[in-house]
Amino acid sequence: MRVVRDLDVAVPPPALWEMLWDVPRMVACLPGCGEAREIEPHRRYEARMTQRVGPITLSVPLEVTVSGVVPPTSLALEARGRDGALGANVAMSVRLAVAPREAGSRVRIEAEGKILGKLGALGHGIIQRKAEELIDEFGARLRRAVEG
Amino acid sequence: MHVIPIRSSCRIRVTVNGRPVELDVRPEALLLDVLRDRLELKGARRSCDVQVCGACTVLLDGAPVSACTFLAVEADGREVLTVEGLATGDRLDPLQEAFMDHGAVQCGFCTAGMLLTARALLAEEPAPSPARVAEYLRGSLCRCTGYRKIVEAILACARPAGVAR
Amino acid sequence: MLRPFALYQPATVAEASEVLARDGRDASLYAGGTEVLLILKAGLLRVRSLIDVKRVPGLAEIRADDGHLSIGATATHRAVERAPAVHARCPLVAGVARHVANIRVRNVGTVGGNLAFADPHSDLATVFLVFDAVVRLASRAGERELPLGDFVRGAYETARAEDELLTAVRLAPWPAGAAGAYVKFGVHERPTLGVAVALMRDGAAIAGARVAVGCVGPRPQRAGAAEERLRGWALADLERHADEVAALAAGEVEPVTDLHGSSEYKRDMTRVFVRRTLLVAAARAAGRDTHARHPHTIIV
Repeated sequence: MRVVRDLDVAVPPPALWEMLWDVPRMVACLPGCGEAREIEPHRRYEARMTQRVGPITLSVPLEVTVSGVVPPTSLALEARGRDGALGANVAMSVRLAVAPREAGSRVRIEAEGKILGKLGALGHGIIQRKAEELIDEFGARLRRAVEG
Repeated sequence: MHVIPIRSSCRIRVTVNGRPVELDVRPEALLLDVLRDRLELKGARRSCDVQVCGACTVLLDGAPVSACTFLAVEADGREVLTVEGLATGDRLDPLQEAFMDHGAVQCGFCTAGMLLTARALLAEEPAPSPARVAEYLRGSLCRCTGYRKIVEAILACARPAGVAR
Repeated sequence: MLRPFALYQPATVAEASEVLARDGRDASLYAGGTEVLLILKAGLLRVRSLIDVKRVPGLAEIRADDGHLSIGATATHRAVERAPAVHARCPLVAGVARHVANIRVRNVGTVGGNLAFADPHSDLATVFLVFDAVVRLASRAGERELPLGDFVRGAYETARAEDELLTAVRLAPWPAGAAGAYVKFGVHERPTLGVAVALMRDGAAIAGARVAVGCVGPRPQRAGAAEERLRGWALADLERHADEVAALAAGEVEPVTDLHGSSEYKRDMTRVFVRRTLLVAAARAAGRDTHARHPHTIIV
């Protein structure tokens, strides 16, 4: 699955970057994720992601790594984990790129992910749509957090 | 409210191929496993495990069901017919004879399901059209025969005056 | 082998609702089990309790209900196929029920289970939309009714509250002179596309139309723009305009790419099959039968 979104916010790029680089707070904007726990500052984090579709609940302890950073404009994260109960392996990568706009700044969100296991096979049709909904909601929460 | 607590068993009384059987089963036990593993009736087979192929078909009060996706407790007080119940001693059911006469069996994996489904059809409709046979057998898959001989065998057993047995 | 669970067999809606409220997502309702047992087997769902609602009296009833047709939640597809009340009031529904899945699923699977699981690839959920279906939900607290379009919210998502059960679905028979059809297409176990059409007549003109498309998106939907376009035309003109209406309907669906095909393919097939279904319905409205046949297609 792959989702690309552009999000415009009414704050200047440095303020947006500050929010994004506060990785635990930024991760908490993703629906179903609590705040990420810091293992190694700006390198490694842990977070639990829980998503529901109908009667099925996916709950994955994620290992989140900062795989690339060019401050103050771009940040790349990888997240991996496994829901043992469902036998589902989850791997995601997210790139965030900040650019100035007239009224503030824009962040381009590029998210790619895979779910392996029965859930990935049977849930194929809804994973893309669900991922789009999640990223849209992520963007909305990010905007609220940054604009105050 | 009747409850079968988790990890406890419940006694069921089922008539299997005309004989009364009493068994203690867990709520989560599937009919296919009970038939194959507790009653040694191996005719019904686990194949797709998702109700698509028909290899696990048994008749429950005369109606075809997928034993792979059927809780054994639901068979309590009811009649189950498996392929082993079609023949009487040496005497084969006319459907079984017809399947042999028409070359409707190759590897045999689908055959039990086909026979039982056909029996249910003929009990309901003694003289179905070829199209109706094909329609009723939709969901009983065969990888060998291409279905034609199976349909011919079933039609050979169809007659207005009576049913297969 | 399934993981262990307790099996509850409530005798009333209130008892069922209590177990649901107590166990939440650790419990699941169960009737035919054709959906829930599959996801239990796949390991995608774990429950402590299955709540078998087949012993609640009245839940399997199929009957006339004050001009409407009421189908109980635990009525099997097979029962719907054969019920005199369905043949009398909504005969298309009997035909659709007859072609759902296969004979084994139809003998065991229930209407309520099908609607409540909200698998996107559902024949009944699609055809019910052209009968203005309303579902009845009940819990310890009482009952409520909801149009089917509001009940099914998305793929596997419904408006059922955690302690509620679906108890019945009520359909409105078509007015006299109406004609319709249901056409489904696919090569997999579940249909790739289902189209339901109803044409209401006012003499030689179409007084109103209902067009529902299912299976291609997260939930079945009525194609309002297509329906609007049909209104007022002469039946005799429908053949000429079917392409245009079908194109409108294809623009209204929200197809999802999955193993049945890409969203572009599904959108295109929507156009193809809405057109075909309109022509079948139009022929029937004119008192003609249709001999149309298409590969991997069932015309009800």
